[in-house]
Amino acid sequence: MSGGLRFKLALLDNIIWLMLLLFFGVCAIGVPAFASWNNIVNILYHTTIMSMLVLAQGFVLLSGNLDLSIDAVLAFAPGVVILASTKWFPGMLGNPYLAIFLTLLAGGLLGFFNGFCVSRLGMNAFMQTLSLSIILRGLVLFLIPLSIFPLHPVYSFIGKARLASLGNIPAAIPVTFCIYLLFHILLKYTVFGRNYLATGGNARASYVAGIDTRRMIIAGFVIAGILSAVAGMLTAGRQDSVSNTMGSGMTLLAFAGALLGGTAMGGGKGSAFGMLGGAILLGMFSNALNLLGVKVTLIHAAQGALIFLAILVDRFRVSLRARLLRNEQLQKLHHTKG
Amino acid sequence: MEGIRSASVLLLDGITKIYPGTVALEDVRFEAFPGEVHGLIGKNGAGKSTLVGILSGLIEPTAGSITLNGHSFHSLRRSLAKKLGVAIVPQEPEIVLDLPVAENLFLGELENSGGFVAWKRIRRDARNILGRFGLDISIDLMARDLSLSERQLLLILKACVVEDANVVVLDESSASLSSKDGIILRRIVEDLKSSGKAVIYISHHIDELLEVCDRLTVLRDGRVVETRSRELFDHHTLSELIVGESLVSSVSHKPDTPPPGERLLEVDALARWGLFEGISFSLRRGEILGIAGLRGSGRTEILKALSGIEPADAGSISLKGKALFFRSPSEALREGVAYLPEDRESEGLVKVFSIGDNLLLNSISKFSNRGFVSWADARRRASEVFSDVQIHAFSMEQNVDELSGGNKQKVVIGRIMTKEPDIYLLDEPTRGVDVGAKHSILSIVNGPLRAGAGVILTSPGLDDLLDICDRIMVLYRGMFVREYSREEFDEKNIFMDMQGFGFQKQRGGGVCRAV
Repeated sequence: MSGGLRFKLALLDNIIWLMLLLFFGVCAIGVPAFASWNNIVNILYHTTIMSMLVLAQGFVLLSGNLDLSIDAVLAFAPGVVILASTKWFPGMLGNPYLAIFLTLLAGGLLGFFNGFCVSRLGMNAFMQTLSLSIILRGLVLFLIPLSIFPLHPVYSFIGKARLASLGNIPAAIPVTFCIYLLFHILLKYTVFGRNYLATGGNARASYVAGIDTRRMIIAGFVIAGILSAVAGMLTAGRQDSVSNTMGSGMTLLAFAGALLGGTAMGGGKGSAFGMLGGAILLGMFSNALNLLGVKVTLIHAAQGALIFLAILVDRFRVSLRARLLRNEQLQKLHHTKG
Repeated sequence: MEGIRSASVLLLDGITKIYPGTVALEDVRFEAFPGEVHGLIGKNGAGKSTLVGILSGLIEPTAGSITLNGHSFHSLRRSLAKKLGVAIVPQEPEIVLDLPVAENLFLGELENSGGFVAWKRIRRDARNILGRFGLDISIDLMARDLSLSERQLLLILKACVVEDANVVVLDESSASLSSKDGIILRRIVEDLKSSGKAVIYISHHIDELLEVCDRLTVLRDGRVVETRSRELFDHHTLSELIVGESLVSSVSHKPDTPPPGERLLEVDALARWGLFEGISFSLRRGEILGIAGLRGSGRTEILKALSGIEPADAGSISLKGKALFFRSPSEALREGVAYLPEDRESEGLVKVFSIGDNLLLNSISKFSNRGFVSWADARRRASEVFSDVQIHAFSMEQNVDELSGGNKQKVVIGRIMTKEPDIYLLDEPTRGVDVGAKHSILSIVNGPLRAGAGVILTSPGLDDLLDICDRIMVLYRGMFVREYSREEFDEKNIFMDMQGFGFQKQRGGGVCRAV
């Protein structure tokens, strides 16, 4: 394969970052105060929660499943843990480090429940996660009718604290980047990651090839649950409280971010950095509209249009990729003949 | 004799079909008369499916004419063929699983009265049809709850009775029927005959054809060898016509093959109820064992049992002297048993992956250190295999879905090679690939694959097995018939054994057959 083609293919596979760059350029010129350092930090900070959900949804999509319960887990995991540590057993569970651990554990267990139902009991992922989502959201409304605040500073650290040593940026930003880096390595350089992607690409073939596909699917849901719990801690930390509306309505936007980032709905295809790009583009988009004074409800509609655009771009990408490869083949044919 | 008959309802004349690289049919003449059952037989690749595809409008012929009810065509579309009264029952039952029996029966033919489905009439008709042929299932049952055999029967009834066609093609319809349902099929065929329809009946079973058909056409290598009425055939002449020049072990590989090494695999009285039983054999390193048998003989099922995909119910397997039993492919792979799936599209490849990633699918853990993949090693091995199996692609990065069938198959073979197992279980590695690819796949099996391992091979045709195997084990309806060593290879004898003739002789003919 020629170097030029390799470069073009690489560009196509990372088309989300190209779009991001383009969008940033347009906004930097057209939108006042957009390209300032403070606004960029602001965008990234506001994207962190959505980034976690995009990663959670995207990761499950990679295995060929989907998870509608991520925003409910976001609210439930920190909600129930904070409730337990402040109201039910303040003496026993008062330690904030323990609370963080328990929040992650709760997310993981809920994910395991989803994964177990889907892979062992053969339930449909859509229906199973929808039911869990409704159950959890209902429980949160029942258990936490009023917000609980303030939170222990250790617990709210990742959502709220600013790092003086790093130019006073919010801790949430480096935390998010680190997690994405971790998932990039996980997907690209570990046996687990490769087997996980293969399972999403063709579960039957992977099973026949000797991969424990049921374990892969459970692992996907567990990881999505843990990431949702992290998103929950970011949310709770930012508002320094837990409330019953945290995260509501974010699940579908998380699909959008994952799709924008080039994740295939059918599974097997996608990358962590792509998802990050998708999440940031979503955030940048609403920020720009915000600065232009567009109404919140209209921003929502515009995000819908953005998703449509993403699907369109994806089709364009696939056909352009096929054309490039075909041209290369033809050229090669001419070479061997001539 | 044809003078006495009424005019033919179907006439294919001078039909030729050329695919890139192969001639599937050459100047074929095929005729069917009202009220006759016309049998079609030939080896795999003889051109039966192509012929049937052409007359039912699924395949466009390169040359020749098709005459149906007096109208002549150069080619048919499926919709036109259907309108002209050609119904076909394909090999694989395609049925809507979540619709009830009655609705499946009338799918696409739902009668309506005033815009509404005439349920009353449909239910009554469905009940009548099932009752007429003695099929004892409720019309409200979901198709999902039927056995495979009953689903097939339902499709046969749909094509034969509901669609009211003049010409009905039954493409190996009896292969997946139980013995009870086989009798019903007979009844349906008799009924069609007496109501003046033409039935084109395809089967691999000589006995069955001689019993059911009025006339038989034998195809070989894309040509009609013989068309005669049934009385003029017997088992022996028919076998001879089908096989043609008997291939006695062509020595394409023998001289430079080293003698087999140590004993790798020992299988004793392996059984999976209803599919196969009493299967025993052994395999040495450096040896290729072929399994010959018709569809339903258990050849695929035995490989699936050995690889842990559908574990056996009884019997023992020992690998290098160690008694083992695999419950999943991952267990089998750990012990060095790799399976090449029969259905490469759905079980063999991850379509969204590149060629390289597919090649590493089984073996990525081999190139890893504490869970982390060493891409340099993995890529090196993958590119070795990539050139070993001679995949025609310009790069390993290319998406596997862009390859031709033969090259896809090479990727699957390469994939299990990367793992370097002790035993290869190859389930029809040459199915549906062109001649060139077939040749290179067989030479990979005969070369690098057998070099370090033992190979068990099945194939849709005998030629492959005769070409490269050291021994051939013949199965008939899930039971062992005979094992041939290379010196004894004789296509005709093996073919007769696959038909179950040898089996009946050995056991006094006490076999209960499905039809």
